[in-house]
Amino acid sequence: MTNALETVAVGKRYGRRWALNDCTLSVPAGRVVGLVGPNGAGKTTLLHLAVGLLQPSAGSVEVLGERPGSGPEALARMGFLAQDSPAYARLTVAQHLQMGAWLNPRWDGEFAAQRVADLGLDTKQRAGTLSGGQRAQLALTLAVAKRPELLLLDEPVASLDPLARREFLQTLMEVVAAHGVTVVLSSHLITDLERVCDYLVVLDNGQVALTGDVEDLLASHHLLTGPRRDSDAMPSGMTVVEESHVERQSTMLVRADGPILDPTWTVTPVTLDDLVLAYMRQARDSSTASRRSLAVAQ
Amino acid sequence: MTRFAWLQSRSQNLLAAAILAALAVLAAITGVHLSHLYNSLVAHCPRNQDCQLASEQFTAHYTFLQNSFTLIPRLVPALLGIFWGAPLFARELESGTFRLAWTQSVSRSRWLLTKLAIGALATVLAAGLLTIIITWWSSDLERVDSSRYGLFDARNLVPVGYAVLAFALGALAGVVIRRTVPAMASSLAVFIFVRIAVQQWVRPHLMPTKTLTASLLGGKEFGFFSNNGGPVDLVARADGPRNSWVLSTHILNASGHTTTAAERTAFVHKYCAAIATPPPPGGPNSRAVRIADPSTIESCRNHAAQTFHLLVTYQPANHYWPLQLLETGLFTALALVAMAGCYWWVTRRAV
Repeated sequence: MTNALETVAVGKRYGRRWALNDCTLSVPAGRVVGLVGPNGAGKTTLLHLAVGLLQPSAGSVEVLGERPGSGPEALARMGFLAQDSPAYARLTVAQHLQMGAWLNPRWDGEFAAQRVADLGLDTKQRAGTLSGGQRAQLALTLAVAKRPELLLLDEPVASLDPLARREFLQTLMEVVAAHGVTVVLSSHLITDLERVCDYLVVLDNGQVALTGDVEDLLASHHLLTGPRRDSDAMPSGMTVVEESHVERQSTMLVRADGPILDPTWTVTPVTLDDLVLAYMRQARDSSTASRRSLAVAQ
Repeated sequence: MTRFAWLQSRSQNLLAAAILAALAVLAAITGVHLSHLYNSLVAHCPRNQDCQLASEQFTAHYTFLQNSFTLIPRLVPALLGIFWGAPLFARELESGTFRLAWTQSVSRSRWLLTKLAIGALATVLAAGLLTIIITWWSSDLERVDSSRYGLFDARNLVPVGYAVLAFALGALAGVVIRRTVPAMASSLAVFIFVRIAVQQWVRPHLMPTKTLTASLLGGKEFGFFSNNGGPVDLVARADGPRNSWVLSTHILNASGHTTTAAERTAFVHKYCAAIATPPPPGGPNSRAVRIADPSTIESCRNHAAQTFHLLVTYQPANHYWPLQLLETGLFTALALVAMAGCYWWVTRRAV
């Protein structure tokens, strides 16, 4: 299976600040990928690079085997839903669908009309008067009716209330099930995506902190609690991601190749939330550590 | 993309069409009446009789519309730049809809060029129809008026050139600034600057000027002035040929050179001594020269006519159309440069 999205050492600079720095990752096709990271981690920049709205300052990006933004054919193969679901405030729902039909050769008008009818949207209503949830649904309909091979969604549920959030993700899952499209959706909250994504990319501070299949990640990580011991004394095949010690007890989040056999440990499965936070903290610590060593070198 | 660009600009185009239609109806009704008035009042005025009164009677009609129609063609290009040019891209960039537009299956350059082309076409049509209506309406009035160049920037072709440039500058400002209101303000400022600069420094030289020499006796103005009690200087102006545009008048001496102020004040001192007494400095009439005896002006003028003559530099009436074409061409060329700037900014610079 080829990769839907592949970046090699990609970087994007705004003035002096690197929004994305030396970022290498590949997203396999046919998955629903959660792109997670705190605000300012570079999620939007990465998605904009993927869809060709931005050009990289360093490195390279390949989407569906092509350089993004190379032409209308490349654009036709991907759907994009920008943050806050922009729509033309003065155009009606019907006019938005008309726009989609005019501007996209692979437009699925039947699907779009059906979708809008299912959502109960009034086609004569102007987009400016839609609620946030309705606008997000309209924007998703526009992106999906393009019949893309790759669907990129930038914080699609961030501004939605819990009910609209659920409905939106529901729609998304229906689309994925019906059309087998690869989806990348970003959020600063893993809990938003937990239910829908089966592949995870964690970005922090412009770099990849963690990437992998969700099930594999959950299966290979464990939370160990037991009598206090040093993390250096751990057996091979086990990597400590995060540790904390109190007087007599140690708690460690470890990545292990095989099962945990040591009976002194109490093993608890990790949640995706724990995992993401642990890796983000680790990425932060290592970057502060490298900054500190730089300061010493000077 | 053409259909979508039309859809986006449809309401503003229809509004402009409605305004133009209303204006056309108004101009048609009053214009027909005006042409009847012309035929009854002026057209049959015998050539050798004094037509002044008849002309004045005629031009006293519809003065409000006359004033409006000198103002409107000068305002409309700027308005089109503000309300059509500036929001064209700025609104999309400001509201984020450009991310929707640029991720449809249409290249960014095609999106830009189509929107620019539709907008520029609408601008040309709107400004063109407006000036056609107004130029037609005022054609009889201008037959009576002898200053062909008086409404140069409000008639015929040039307003279309102005409108295209205002539109293109608005679009460029929108692309660069990415916010609608600042784009409106800055493009308006640049447009006004270009208009004034061209009017002051470029238009007089677009075609080679002509000159004529005139006697001081036939000139339309002859007088004296003193600057704050300084020596009394001589002033004289002459008319250019009918319907011409006089750019400057110089007083030349016998050898054909432009006179210096010293030369002229020396003349006044010598031949017009009765007038030469400067007023007391700082007084209420410090700029006015008291004239002892009006007949001395005549003798002074006769002397002056023997010593000096006038050189009038002007654009003749038959340069009117070449100047219109050249200025329209100049503004259109500037507009194309601004549009190329939009293209470069959107496609080459990362947004």
